[in-house]
Parts: sequence; C-alpha cells; structure tokens
Amino acid sequence: MKEIATFMVNEKHYELAIEPHMLLVEVLRDELGLTGTKHSCGIGSCGACTVLIDGRPVLSCLTLALTVRGKDITTIEGLAQGTTLHPIQKAFVEHGAIQCGYCTPGMILSAKALLDKNLNPTDKEVKHALSGNLCRCTGYVKIIDAVLAAAEAMSKEAHP
Amino acid sequence: MARLLRPFEYRGPQTVGEAVRMLSEYDAQARVLAGGTDLIVSMKKRQISPRYIVYIKDIPDLNYVHYSQETGLTIGALATHRSIADSSIIKDRYNLLATACNKVGTPQVRNMGTIGGNICKAGPSQDTPPVLLVLDARLKLVSLGGERVVPIDTFFLAPFKTVLQQGELLTEIQIPNPPPVSAGCYKWATKTVAVDETLVGVAVLMSVDSADGVCTDIKIALGSVAPTPMRARQAEEVLRGKRIDDRLIGQAAQVAAGETRPRSRADFRRRMSRHLVSEAIAETWKMIR
Ligand SMILES: Cc1cc2nc3c(=O)[nH]c(=O)nc-3n(C[C@H](O)[C@H](O)[C@H](O)COP(=O)(O)OP(=O)(O)OC[C@H]3O[C@@H](n4cnc5c(N)ncnc54)[C@H](O)[C@@H]3O)c2cc1C
Ligand code: FES
Ligand code: FES
Repeated sequence: MKEIATFMVNEKHYELAIEPHMLLVEVLRDELGLTGTKHSCGIGSCGACTVLIDGRPVLSCLTLALTVRGKDITTIEGLAQGTTLHPIQKAFVEHGAIQCGYCTPGMILSAKALLDKNLNPTDKEVKHALSGNLCRCTGYVKIIDAVLAAAEAMSKEAHP
Repeated sequence: MARLLRPFEYRGPQTVGEAVRMLSEYDAQARVLAGGTDLIVSMKKRQISPRYIVYIKDIPDLNYVHYSQETGLTIGALATHRSIADSSIIKDRYNLLATACNKVGTPQVRNMGTIGGNICKAGPSQDTPPVLLVLDARLKLVSLGGERVVPIDTFFLAPFKTVLQQGELLTEIQIPNPPPVSAGCYKWATKTVAVDETLVGVAVLMSVDSADGVCTDIKIALGSVAPTPMRARQAEEVLRGKRIDDRLIGQAAQVAAGETRPRSRADFRRRMSRHLVSEAIAETWKMIR
C-alpha cells in the first residue's frame, strides 16, 4: 500500500505517494527525475549511488526511501548554483577527473562531505574519504588532485 | 541479482516496547531492519523475503556510547560504526574496537551500518565480534517477555545463527573496564574483492604485572577461521603467567593456528592466522611494556 511521504531533497520539499519497498535511489531517479544519482551494483560496493543524508555520505541503493522522510537529502543536483558549478565540480572538470562520469556524482558528494568538515585534508585523508567510491576509468590520481585543488580553492574563498 | 526489492509491509516503531510487540506478533514473518547494509542486500539476493520490515532506527535512545568508571562502556545497538570509531572514550580506552569499526566496509557503510547489525548478522567474517570476545562484552536482549543479558561467547551458534530468539531485539552492548595495565589490538587480512571482506581477523587483549613484566592474562579471538568467531584458549594458556618473548609468541601463534577450523582456503587461513596472531601479540606487548 502506498504511503504519503515528505522528502526534503536539495532544500526543496516533495510530497509523494510511495511504496514501502522503494529504495531511495528509485525515488530520486524515477519519481523525482533526479538522475544524477547513479544506480550501479545495487549491493553497496561501488558508491555510484552515494547521496548525503544530513551531510553524511550513504548509499541510496541500500536505503529504504521511507526511512529518510524529513531528513536533509543532498544529491549532485543540489551543488551547482544555477550555472555556477560548485568548486569541487569545477576542479573535477579542470583536472580531467571525469571520464565516463558514472562515478562522478558519488565521488563529488563523498568529497563534499570531507571538505565540509576539513578544508585542509592530506592526500591520505582524501583517499580514505573516497575509499567507498570506485572508478573504473581514471585511475584515481586526477580525482585526488581535483579534490585537493578544490580544498585549496574553497579555503581561499573561506579565508580570503 | 535483482536490484529492486519485493513488496513488504513497513513498520516504524518508536519505542523498544512497540518493536518487540510487533516482532512477537509477526513472528517468523518479520525482520528487524537497522542500517540495512546487510539485510537489504540479502533481500535483493532473494535469500529472504520478509512479509514485515520492522525498522528500528527511529527508536530514540538506542544510539549512544556511554562510559562510567563504575559500569564501564555501554553502547546502544544502533550506534554506527562511524560513531564508535569516532568516540574519544573508545579511541582512548578501547582502541581495538575503534580499529575494528573503522575497518568495516567503506565510509558510506560505516555511516549506515550499526554494531547491533554487525553482531546479529553473525557471519563468520564480521569484524567486531573477535574484539567484543576479548573485551568480554555482554549483550542485552529484550523481548515481550522481558530481558536477559548473555555473554558474547555464548551468543554465536553457527554461521548466521545465534541464541537470539524470534521476537528478541539486541538493545545494548556492555563492556567492562579493561584490566588496569592492559593493551590490545585488532589485525586482519582481507580477501581481494571490491570491498575488503575479512579473510582472517585477530583481536588480542593482554594485561601484565607492572612489577615483574609477567603476562597475567591474555585473550585471543579470531574471526572468519571457524563457523563462529572463536577464542584461541590453548594459545592463551601458552602465554598466561609467563614473561613474553619472541619464542613464546611464535609458539602461541602456532597453537592458535592449530585451533582454527576454516571451512575454505583452510591452509591459507591457518598460515594467516599464525602470522596475524604473532603480529597482534607482539604489537600489544610493545604497547604495554
Ligand atoms: C559494501 C559492504 C561492505 C561491508 N564490509 C563489512 C566489513 O568489512 N566488515 C563487517 O563486519 N561487515 C561488513 N559489511 C556487512 C554489514 O555492513 C555490517 O555487518 C553492518 O554492521 C550491519 O549492520 P546494519 O545495521 O546495516 O544491519 P542490518 O542490515 O540492518 O541488519 C543485519 C541483520 O541483523 C539483524 N538486526 C540488526 N539489528 C538488530 C538488533 N538490534 N536486534 C536484533 N536483530 C538485529 C537484522 O534483522 C539482520 O538480520 C559490509 C556490507 C556492505 C554492503
Ligand atoms: S549502486 Fe549503490 S553502492 Fe553500487
Ligand atoms: S569516470 Fe568512469 S567510472 Fe569513474
């Protein structure tokens, strides 16, 4: 039986009738059309479906949508302001950290969760923060470079 | 494998009492859902298709880490791996538990997965049970009929099988103060798969007499090398009451490897057990000396 549920995604409220067995990734992609969140392995291994719940990276493929009613959900669509990219997105573009792009939304959200708490991460901290996001294209080096560059840009913005 | 779930009925109890009433009413048709990092995967693989899902994460007061000198450490079943690994009292006094929780899965899995789910899943390769075994943890189990507290070394019966009865909920993990002059660590080797599932996990907790440097007590536990997490009691005997040296460590490690009962990759698992037990004892000894 469908239930009416209110979701807050990227600071917007949505009221939807959903089935209890629907996963968050289905609601985001199929009900709300927010297809930036990717659905790949479905078993928690790859991180392509990563979204932020109350600022923390979680896997939308293993999350029942009903369990995140009323929580603050951030998807990749919530980062850019109009046509202005978020500094992490900009750094990914500038550093060639995107090839096929399938892992990118999850990578960027994991990076955001790190940089929101720590604007001066070490190489190791970046790798640790991204260790739940697999990329089969880039070899990771450019992704790590991009996150470090974004950290620098963001801390300059914060302390000009 | 299916990426979507079969339909079920959803229940979101707000109290432990409400949860156990539902579990008792729905009996074998219900499953407890906490972080879901294990259960949702099993449901997608169609290993289980429960009629009712009882989601417990909305119950307040089951997500905490408390410490007091008198009662030791108590952890709510819903505490996530992340919150345990980040807890300053755990990092300080129960560092091996922080290490094990930090090893579980990925950042996302640690944000979602709970210690209660890790214990109740009871697969041979779960990372927190060996540590909880050497720390002498006790588990509080609540049902409609009341509550009981069981020592963790009587909790696991077989792979994915525990003494937890249908309708019973794990609510709290109780861990006594570590002995006065003691130290411990957790070591592991992983399989080479997308997520580093533990091939062998070893936890050691040792206390010494500060006057003469004799090992007064030691506990060694291993994961993923027997049907359930296990203590290596014969290996402990090799060291208890002795002054530790390399020869003795080697001997204890060999005895521990002999105590394991791996189902698959037995030879490799035994060799890794021997290596990791030896490393874990040596490291613990170094911390405490
Ligand atoms: C990608 C990935 C990597 C992983 N890596 C590791 C790893 O390295 N090490 C490791 O140990 N595990 C690992 N796991 C397994 C899993 O994440 C952990 O075991 C986690 O702690 C499970 O907790 P949960 O809250 O998500 O459990 P859930 O999936 O919600 O529940 C697990 C089981 O326990 C029962 N249950 C949960 N809570 C209670 C309770 N309070 N009372 C009674 N029954 C309960 C459920 O009914 C279910 O049968 C991994 C999983 C994934 C998807
Ligand atoms: S799709 Fe969720 S982790 Fe791979
Ligand atoms: S860019 Fe293709 S998977 Fe990462």
